[in-house]
Amino acid sequence: MSAPLTASQAVALVARREFVTQVKSRSFVIGIVFTLVIFAVVAGVVVFISSQTEEHTLGITPSASGLQPTLEQLAAQQDVTLRVVDVDEDAGRAQVAGDELDALLSGGTAGYQLLYRDAVDSSLTPVVAAAAQQAALSTALTDAGVDPATVAASAQVDPTTIEPVDPERGQQLAVALGGTFLLFMGLQYAAGVAGGVVEEKQSRVVELLLATIKPWHLLTGKVIGIGAAGLLTMVILGAIAGGIGAAAGLLTLPTAAVGMLVMVLVWYLIGFFLFAAVYAALGSTVSRQEELQPLIAPMVFLVIIPFILTLNLLPSDPRNPILAVLSYVPFLSQTVMPARYALGVAPLWEVALSALIAVAAIAVVVRVAARIYRNSILRTGARVSLREALRSR
Amino acid sequence: MLEIGGLSKRFGPVQALDGVTFSVRPGEVFGFVGSNGAGKTTTMRIVLGVLSADAGEVRWQGRPVDADLRRRIGYMPEERGLYPKMKVGDQLRYLAQLHGLPAAEAQSAVERWTERLGVSGRLGDEVQKLSLGNQQRVQLSAALVHDPEVLVLDEPFSGLDPTAVEVMSSVLRDKAGTGVPVIFSSHQLELVERLCDRIGIISAGRMVATGSVEELRARDGRVVLDVEGPPPGWADGLAGVEVLDAPGPATRLRLHPDTDDQQVLAAAVAAGPVHEFRRWRPPLTELYRDVVESSVPTAVPA
Repeated sequence: MSAPLTASQAVALVARREFVTQVKSRSFVIGIVFTLVIFAVVAGVVVFISSQTEEHTLGITPSASGLQPTLEQLAAQQDVTLRVVDVDEDAGRAQVAGDELDALLSGGTAGYQLLYRDAVDSSLTPVVAAAAQQAALSTALTDAGVDPATVAASAQVDPTTIEPVDPERGQQLAVALGGTFLLFMGLQYAAGVAGGVVEEKQSRVVELLLATIKPWHLLTGKVIGIGAAGLLTMVILGAIAGGIGAAAGLLTLPTAAVGMLVMVLVWYLIGFFLFAAVYAALGSTVSRQEELQPLIAPMVFLVIIPFILTLNLLPSDPRNPILAVLSYVPFLSQTVMPARYALGVAPLWEVALSALIAVAAIAVVVRVAARIYRNSILRTGARVSLREALRSR
Repeated sequence: MLEIGGLSKRFGPVQALDGVTFSVRPGEVFGFVGSNGAGKTTTMRIVLGVLSADAGEVRWQGRPVDADLRRRIGYMPEERGLYPKMKVGDQLRYLAQLHGLPAAEAQSAVERWTERLGVSGRLGDEVQKLSLGNQQRVQLSAALVHDPEVLVLDEPFSGLDPTAVEVMSSVLRDKAGTGVPVIFSSHQLELVERLCDRIGIISAGRMVATGSVEELRARDGRVVLDVEGPPPGWADGLAGVEVLDAPGPATRLRLHPDTDDQQVLAAAVAAGPVHEFRRWRPPLTELYRDVVESSVPTAVPA
């Protein structure tokens, strides 16, 4: 004999169906594999680029070879890898044209010429220019009876920092970007709520469901089920990426990574509920999948914009004031704030404050979205305007 | 008893339902007929709470139908409603559980009903892979898996082949046999006539007739006779008699209420040998046409 379902039983049944449907679907596995491939490619490119020590090969003609000791000394000071090759002028020109040499230095104390093939190297030129200048100065100073070493000592500049230079900056950056990327992937699941709502409306199965459970049971179950599938994806991806990083010795800060993973999961839940509520409301106003795309396109930008800003601005400027402001704005904060936290520029109280603002936003957004959903979900045919959906009972 | 009392519903400028009232007794198969847009689907959706009425109420066993009672109604929506990409078995089990069946009971109910409806071999297939007829059998299974106390089916027979119609008919009769009131809508009037204990005819949002086929026939009060034998035209000009068009060799007469059929018989015998003289029982199709035509005020003067 059947007994009436409690609200939590109804929600749990719906959530389980949504979760199982998501996890069993082909796109779930494909999504994870695809993301891992992207991870691997990005990591590969980064490793490749950083392994490319930029070595400059400079040909020097006999007339300019007096500059060689100064050149090598300055290059070492400025972290420029320099290999100096002695050539004569004609052979040197040919080798520059043939890309065997990056540049050819010729001329002498009356003036130097630095010859490139088709582009001036912005790190090599200043080294050569400084060497020429220093050589000229030394000669002039010696001629004037001044010891060049004295002058050099009084012109010494020593850079220091107030706070100690963080030796883990690179690690933090990797963790921050990894977390941001995970969040971006996880939030894609929110769009699945819109698709699911429209599927039920289009196939009319919603009529069958709402004859036995309430709209909010269905909506809540759907959001929880799909959200859980997204969470599982992120845990799997985070564990794989972290595991590989640790195994390869790239990740030497396991506590920071775990802390960031927890931070990412909490912010995922906040962001997911916000976006899922809006997606559900939008989905409930249309009757066919084809009508959905133009409606949710602006939402896609809302996910992508903070992601791109974070990726572009934060690595070079963790204290960027624009991002600091955005990290408090609901719908954006879930992407920006965890990255600022991982880079150590946002203390926990800032994170908590931003989370509080986002949770308050959820309370409002969910209420409005549930109202739109309830009023639109059984209305098929023409798209229900948002104003109409909000007004009717 | 399922009582539908005074349901009214307006969609913008359209009065979709205007005081729709009828009742269905336990164990009764009730056929709900009417042209497209007459209000059948709207009525059924209100019974299921999928739509709310502007006025009126639905009662089952004397109590207004609320969420808990609705859970015990079996419903088949007009536009079929199943997840296209979900497997038949998973889907039916899910719906049974949403109606409050424990998992084990849901499983056995799914097996029982899909067996009965001839789709037990398709439990592992996605709904969208099934033929339309089989999808419909699954849809009926979905309405039955939670052992409902009331069945409300919107066009359960549309698009079914004759075998499926037989299976579906016998299932509905059996359900009614267990004391369940069964309401279904259909445009197949022969089927409705054969299957239903009572019939409700709705036109432009109003119930225009309710009752058994016999009662619908008696509603008119006038007798129609088929007389075979006398030469054509024998009844022209006969007092108190209207000659109707009829297929075949018989002459069809509608008698005015105070006309004595014995006098008509005498006139027939006088006109020629009478081989057949019988009361004509119009089928539901004709009753329906008469009822709907007489209910719609014909505003077109000839």
